[in-house]
Amino acid sequence: MVKRAITTIALLSIVLLLPPVEASSQDADRIIEKSNLASYYAADDGKAKARMEIKDRRGRTRVRELVMLRKDIEDGGRQNFYIYFTAPTDIKGMVFMVKKFPQRDDDRWLYIPAVDLIKRIVARDKRLSFAGSHFTYEDVSGRSPQDDTHTFLREERLGDKDTYVIKNTPKDKDEVEFSYYIVWIDKKTYLPLKAEYYDKKGRLYKVLKAEKIETIEGIPTAVRIKAEEVGGGTTVVEFTDIRYNLGIPDSIFTERYLRKVPRRWIR
Amino acid sequence: MKKRLLKIVELATDYPKTVMALCVILTVVFALQIPKIRIDTDPENMLSPDEPVRVQHTETKKEFSLYDVIVVGILDESTEEGVFKKETLERIARITEEIQRIDGVVGDDILSLLTTDDIDAAGGMLTIKPLLEAGADVDPEWVKERALKNPLLKGVIVSEDGKLTSIYVPIERKDQSYRISREIGSIIDKYKGTEEYHITGLPVAEDTFGVEMFKEMTISAPLAGLLIFLLMLFFFRSVVRVTSAMIVALMSVIWAMGLLIGTGFTVHIMSSMIPVFLMPIAVVDSIHILSEFHDRYSPDKGVKATLLEVMDELFIPMLFTSITSAAGFLSLITTPIPPVRVFGAFVAFGILVAWLLTITFIPAWLMLTAKKMRLKKTEHATSSFNGILQRAGRFTIRYSRPIIAGAVVVFLASVYFITFTVVNDNPVKWFAEGHPIRIADKVLNKHFGGTYMAYLVLDGKKEGAFKDPEVMGYLERLSDELNKLDVVGKTISVADVVKKISFELYGEDPAYNRLPDSAKKISQYLFLYEMAGDPEDLFHLVTPSYSKANLWVQLKSGDNMDMQKVVQFVEDYMKKNPPPEELGHSWAGLTYLNMVWQEKMVSGMIKALTGGAITVLIMMVILFRSVIWGLIAVVPLTLTIVFIYGLVGITGKDYDMPIAVLSSLTLGVSVDFAIHFVGRTREFREAGYGWNEIVSRMFGEPVRAIIKNMFVVAVGFMPLLFSVLVPYRTVGFFFASIMVTSGVATLILLPAIMNTLKRRLKLEEV
Repeated sequence: MVKRAITTIALLSIVLLLPPVEASSQDADRIIEKSNLASYYAADDGKAKARMEIKDRRGRTRVRELVMLRKDIEDGGRQNFYIYFTAPTDIKGMVFMVKKFPQRDDDRWLYIPAVDLIKRIVARDKRLSFAGSHFTYEDVSGRSPQDDTHTFLREERLGDKDTYVIKNTPKDKDEVEFSYYIVWIDKKTYLPLKAEYYDKKGRLYKVLKAEKIETIEGIPTAVRIKAEEVGGGTTVVEFTDIRYNLGIPDSIFTERYLRKVPRRWIR
Repeated sequence: MKKRLLKIVELATDYPKTVMALCVILTVVFALQIPKIRIDTDPENMLSPDEPVRVQHTETKKEFSLYDVIVVGILDESTEEGVFKKETLERIARITEEIQRIDGVVGDDILSLLTTDDIDAAGGMLTIKPLLEAGADVDPEWVKERALKNPLLKGVIVSEDGKLTSIYVPIERKDQSYRISREIGSIIDKYKGTEEYHITGLPVAEDTFGVEMFKEMTISAPLAGLLIFLLMLFFFRSVVRVTSAMIVALMSVIWAMGLLIGTGFTVHIMSSMIPVFLMPIAVVDSIHILSEFHDRYSPDKGVKATLLEVMDELFIPMLFTSITSAAGFLSLITTPIPPVRVFGAFVAFGILVAWLLTITFIPAWLMLTAKKMRLKKTEHATSSFNGILQRAGRFTIRYSRPIIAGAVVVFLASVYFITFTVVNDNPVKWFAEGHPIRIADKVLNKHFGGTYMAYLVLDGKKEGAFKDPEVMGYLERLSDELNKLDVVGKTISVADVVKKISFELYGEDPAYNRLPDSAKKISQYLFLYEMAGDPEDLFHLVTPSYSKANLWVQLKSGDNMDMQKVVQFVEDYMKKNPPPEELGHSWAGLTYLNMVWQEKMVSGMIKALTGGAITVLIMMVILFRSVIWGLIAVVPLTLTIVFIYGLVGITGKDYDMPIAVLSSLTLGVSVDFAIHFVGRTREFREAGYGWNEIVSRMFGEPVRAIIKNMFVVAVGFMPLLFSVLVPYRTVGFFFASIMVTSGVATLILLPAIMNTLKRRLKLEEV
C-alpha cells in the first residue's frame, strides 16, 4: 500500500517536474469546449451595451448601438438572447430575440415598433451577417463545438499571452463558407484571442480578434472585438456596462416583452 | 526639294541589294514585335480612362458593388410548365453551384433562383432566402408561383410565361469573359437535359469579338491580299512586278502593326482593321510606277534611266497622294476616342512607309528583276475597251451641264438623306445573324425585360435621404414611368424591396403593396431585411448610408438610340416633376457608356473630317498653285463622302464606328484619283494640247490607271463581305461603294466641270 503510494507520488512528481507535455489532439476538443463556455456562457446571465462600428471596404461607416441580455438555460446548451437596438434613432426600439438550441435551428423574432408587428424570422443561415456587420450570427451567439473536428496545432505566444492554436474543420462542408478556421485560445482564461478563417480555396479571408480583455466581476471578458475581412471592411464592437449574474427572469424572453420593453433591464 | 528626294531613288538604283536588305531587316525587326500582341475589345476603352463619364461609371460600380455580367438563359418551350419541372430545376441548381466556383466569378453576387432571395411571410414566419436549394425537395409549381409574385425575380430571373429562367454571372474582369463563358458551357454540357441553354451579355459579346477578330485578321486580310494580287496580275500580267507591289503593301502593314504593338498599344477592333485599310492604299502608288515603267521601258534606254524618268514624273503626284491620304487618317487624332486616334495615327504612318518603300524598294526591285522581265505590250489603243473610254470622254464633254446638274441633285438628295442617319452601335450586333450570341440575345430579350443594364444613380446628397417616403416615392414613380417606355423591359430599385417587404409583412394584402408613409417604417423594414436577409443584396440598390439610390434599368436592346431615349426621358421627367428634395442624377453601365462614346464619335468625326478636308484642300491649292484647280480637285471626294453618308442614311444602316472611320478613307483615296486626273490634265495642257485632244488623251492611259486602282481596291475587299463580324462586312461593302463612287465622280464629273469652266481654266482650243 505504502509502496504503491510512493510509486504514485513518484510518478506524479515526474509528471509534474517534466516540462508541460504537448497537448494531444484529444485535448483539442476539451480546450474548445472550455473556450466555448468561457466566451459564450460566462456566469448564468449577463448584460452589456454594445456599440458596433461597421466600416465597409470603401471606408463608409455606420454605427449601431444595442443592449444585449443573455440568459443560459444550461451551460454549453440552450440560451436566450434579447437584443434591443438603441441607435440610430430610426430603428430605436427594434428588438431581436433569439432562442438558441445547439442541436437545431434557432428561434428568432424581430419586433418592428413603427408598425407594431412581431415577426418570427426563419433562421436561414448562421453564417450570414448579423445586423449588417462583419460578424455572423454564429460569431455573436457561438458556434457549436460539435459542428467541427478540432486539431491541436501548437502552442504559441501571442502578444503577451500564451495560447493554444487549434484548427477547426467543419463536419458538414456545405453548411459553411469556410474550409477551416484556426483559433488562438488564451491558456489562462480560455478566451479566444484570434481566429483566422480560410475560404474553400484555402485563402485567408477573415480575421476575428479580441482586442481588449478586462476582468469584470471576476470574469475575464472581451470588451472590444474586431472582425476584419481581408481587403474588405471591418466591424469593431465595444462593450460597456457589462454585468453578470443579474437574475434576469425567463419571462423577459417572451413575445410579450418584445412589445413592452423591460425598462429595468435595458437601462 | 524634289531634287534632293529624287537622290533617294538614285541611291536605291545604285545599291539595290543594300536597299532591299535594309528593307528586309527593318521588316523583320517590326515583325518581331507582333507576337507581343495584346487584344483589347473593351468598349470602355473607347473613352479615355480619365473621361468623367467613365470615372463616374467606375465609381458607381464600386459604390454599389456592381460587376459586368454574363447572362445564362435556360429555356424550355416544349411544355406548359416550361423550366418549372423537378429535374430541370435540379439541373439548374447544380449548374448554378458549379458556376459559383469558377475562377473569376463573383460567386456571392450571382443572381439566380438558387442565389437570389425571395421574401415570404407565410404563416407568420418571415423567410428571406432563395426559392431553390441544391438537393432540397421543392415543389416546382410553388417555386414558379413565388417567383412570379416577386417583382425582384419576375422578368429578371424568371420570365412571365415560366419558360425561361436565367443566371446572371458577375465577373471580376471583363477580359476573362470568353474563358468563363467557355467554362460555363462545359458545366452545362455536363448536366443539360432537353432544355436550351443560351449564353450572352455584353462582356461575352466583346470578348468573343476579340477571339473572332483574331481569326478574321488571319483569314480575311490575307485573303483580301490574295484577291488584290490576282486582280493586279490580271491587269499587269507580270508576277514579278505585281509581287513587288504586294511586298510593299505587306511590309507597310508589318511596319505599322509592328510599331503599334512594339510601342505598347493594344490591338482594338479599330486597329485590327489597319491591314485592311492599309493594303489598298499601299499598292496604289506602285501601280502607277509599274504602269508607267512598263510603258516607257526599252532595253536601249536601260532600267535606271527609265526609272529616273518615271520617278521624275510621278514623284510629286505620289508624294501628294500619300501626304493627303496620311493627312486624312491623321485627322482622326483630333477625335476624342483613343482607339480611333491610334488607328488614324498608325494608318497614316503605314501610308508614309508605303510611300518610302515605293520610292526605294520598288526601284531596287526593278533594278534586280527588270532585265529578266518579258515585256509584252498589253492593252492597245485600238482595243474595244479604249473605244468605250473614248466615247465616255466625249460624253462627259457633250453633256457636261446635265452631268453637273445631276451631281448637284445627287449632292442635295444625299444631304437630305443624311438627316435620316441613325447613330447607333451595339456590340451584340457586331456578330452576324445566326451567331450563337445573336440567337441568345434574341431569346433572352424576347422572354425577358431585357438584359442590357444601365444604372441611374440618384444622389440625395445627405445621409438617409432615401428613407424619406417622399424621396422614395419619387424614386418609385420615376421607376414606374420608365417601365412604361417600350424600350425599357424592367426596372428595379430599393423601393421595390421596401414594397415587397410591406406586402409580405401584411400577409400579401394587395392594399399594402405600397411604400409605407413614414421614414421610420422605411428604416425599420430595411433593417428587417438586413437582419433576416443578406444586406449585401440591398447595397447594390442603395448606399449603406441611404444617401444614394441606384435604379437598375434593363433595356431590351443594347442599341445606343434606345439608351438615348431613356436618358432623354429622365431629363424631361425630372425637369417637369422636380423631386421633393434636391436629387443629383447620373448614369452608369455599359449600355450608357456605349451611348456616350458614340455621341463623342459623331461630333469628333465631323470635326476631324472638316479638319481633314480643309488640310487636303490647302494641299491641293499648293500642289496646283491655283485656288480654282484646288477646289476642283476636292469636288469628287466631297460628293463621295456626302453620297456615302446619304446612302447610310437612306438604307437605314446604323452609323457606327467603322462607318465613321470610312470618311477618312474616302478623304485619302478619292483625292488620289483627283490628283492624278487633274495633274495629268494640266500636264497635257502644258504640253500644248487643245481641250478635245486632252480629253481624248486623258481617257487613254491615265483613266485606265484610275479604273485599275478602283477595281483593285473594290474587288480586293470582297472577302470581308463574308466575315462573321458585321463591322468587317460593313467596311467591305462601303469600301467598294466608296471606290466606285469616287472613281465615277472623278472620271465623269471632273471633265464635265473642266468643260464648263474651260475658259477660266485656260483649257480652250489652241
